[in-house]
Amino acid sequence: MSQSNVAVNLILKKLAETTEKAKTRAKKASEVLLSPLDTELSTTPYEVVYKEDRVRLKYYRPTEVKQKYPLLVVYALINRETMLDLQPGRSVVQNFLDSGLEVYMIDWGYPTRKDKYVTIDDHVNGYMDNIVDFIRKKHQLPQINLMGICMGGAFCVMYSALHSEKIKNLITTVTPTNFDTDKGLLHVWMKYTDAFLMGESYGNMPGDLMNLGFLLLNPARLILDKYVGFYENMDDKDFVENFIRMEKWIFDSPDVPAATFHQFVTDCYRKNLLIQSKLELNGRRVDLKNITMPLLNFYGQYDHLVPPEACELLTKAVGSKDTEDICLKTGHIGIYVSSKCQREFGPKIVKWLKEREGDAKVSGSRSDKASDISQTGDRKIAGESLRYVSPKKLVGKKSKPASPELKKAN
Amino acid sequence: MNQDQKKETVITSLFAQWTKSATDFWGNMLQMQFGMSDASEASRKNPFHQTQKAYESGAKILGALISTLSQPENLESALKGMDSLPEFIIQMAQQSWESYLELQKKMAESAAKIGQHTEAYKFEGIDQNVFKAWRDIYEKEFRQYLNVPQLGLNRFHQERIARLIDTLNIFQASLNEFIYMFYIPIEKSGAVMQEKIEQLAEKGEIHDNFKEYYNMWIKTLEGHYMTLLKSPEYAEVMNNTINALVQYREAKQEVLYDILKEFPIPTNKDMDELYNDLYILKKKVSELCRKLDESRQ
Repeated sequence: MSQSNVAVNLILKKLAETTEKAKTRAKKASEVLLSPLDTELSTTPYEVVYKEDRVRLKYYRPTEVKQKYPLLVVYALINRETMLDLQPGRSVVQNFLDSGLEVYMIDWGYPTRKDKYVTIDDHVNGYMDNIVDFIRKKHQLPQINLMGICMGGAFCVMYSALHSEKIKNLITTVTPTNFDTDKGLLHVWMKYTDAFLMGESYGNMPGDLMNLGFLLLNPARLILDKYVGFYENMDDKDFVENFIRMEKWIFDSPDVPAATFHQFVTDCYRKNLLIQSKLELNGRRVDLKNITMPLLNFYGQYDHLVPPEACELLTKAVGSKDTEDICLKTGHIGIYVSSKCQREFGPKIVKWLKEREGDAKVSGSRSDKASDISQTGDRKIAGESLRYVSPKKLVGKKSKPASPELKKAN
Repeated sequence: MNQDQKKETVITSLFAQWTKSATDFWGNMLQMQFGMSDASEASRKNPFHQTQKAYESGAKILGALISTLSQPENLESALKGMDSLPEFIIQMAQQSWESYLELQKKMAESAAKIGQHTEAYKFEGIDQNVFKAWRDIYEKEFRQYLNVPQLGLNRFHQERIARLIDTLNIFQASLNEFIYMFYIPIEKSGAVMQEKIEQLAEKGEIHDNFKEYYNMWIKTLEGHYMTLLKSPEYAEVMNNTINALVQYREAKQEVLYDILKEFPIPTNKDMDELYNDLYILKKKVSELCRKLDESRQ
């Protein structure tokens, strides 16, 4: 009995303290929330250099160009590419620019009902191919570097298999290619439900509905605990600003064209055609053995959306002998935004690309307008033909990870 | 003549009287209304006279029907037909009442189970009887009334409205079941927390920090959700909800298209056709441009 009384006393005392703390926090929080907050995303300056329908190409120019081959970043159709430039100090784009790498990034825009018939083929062999050609012409280069994120990574894999002559190096990050796994809930749901029907029912697959699906992957944390965390820290201005930025990014979710969504769910999630080299885009088979350029494959050990099992088979399935798997100890988004990964991810990519540039020198004769470039495609740049380049195989066997902190998957 | 036969004769006689007076009354009314118009050739062609003729003809048909009905043998069969109407209503009410009682019984059974026993991290055989019972009853007893074949000019519109009501009912039932699924882990976590706190109390290790309990609860809840969301039961309920939503939306759009057709605005259906044409045209144009570029090179 006496023991019980002591516990109750302690609990009541703690409750009083907590109430007092909450009162102080609420006062401070109101000051923070009512003051001007810096919650802007994507603040690194860029220029829109290409437009086609809803699709735009952003160009980020470094102060000093140190690498010959620019990098084209292809984001997923789900959420937006602003995640790579979330905030100063946590910007993958800024890291690339600091290393002298020219960055192009596709902004897929906001599909409307007009886009409901747009297929994966239209994205890969249409928009992406046009953009790659535009950059090649602008830089007078036969090849460029390509980096894909999540679904955008799957698009990059398809593109590299179909247009291998245009890609110098391929980087895939949290990219699902093997869908025959029940590790991720998304894989289970896509396989066992008719989710693809919703795209057609709504015209396109609504971004809000997809976001609801993502929240339901872990309701306790994403719907409840996250906001408890916000409540506990809302008197901290930095925390609030970062939190709001992330909220802005998470819920800025464009719809996915119905035809693309349907095809991605049925051909990839249900039939798992991509990793088997059986996927067809407009009658052309996506043969992964055609991916002969160097390949760097990143994924997250704790990724609940695209688990390691969905990513790690790619390097074995491609034709390239210069491949590397890097499994970071983080989740799906952590790769791009966590402070620790910021120190590993960007620098590793820059280094990896630099190692594969060979003795190539930065061309000083870059044209700023694609139209300035000859359409004939027979102009020679640095001894390479604009129309055809044999991909260089730098290393004959799988390379080792550069940093001991990076866990090699295989 | 027994009592029943006597009663019947009285009813028949009363009905015959009523039909006669009704026929006379409506006949006189028509005479009064149209009797004052002249009967010249010119007036016979005017629309007023045409209407009068139509009314007269209608009154004659009505009179003939009533007279036929007032004959004892016909009246008897008509009255028998009317007898079956209450029977039909009673049958319907009986069916609905039985279904309602069945549903209530299932609900009572489920309510009795709440708090009885909840096994942590196990979602096999979740008690979804109430939802299943409702769906079964709806499909067996009520749905058939919405599927009664529609007749006449508006039959397609009526069918679409009936389908909308039907799909809405199914969607609501599926959604309720889906939402209920998300409540189960909360119930289970509550029970687990009770057990944990009891154990801590027995050991005298009660925390004085509420955050500790919150962390314990949220971890338990997360675990329960993870188990639930991976279960085939959840995937089935989710799939049912998705399919019900898609069908409901489809039915709703069909009804909306019917209504919007009357307004001078394009529907999604119209626009989709246009977008498809545009999409195909764009693809053809870009293909032709590509071929042209290749031929130039």
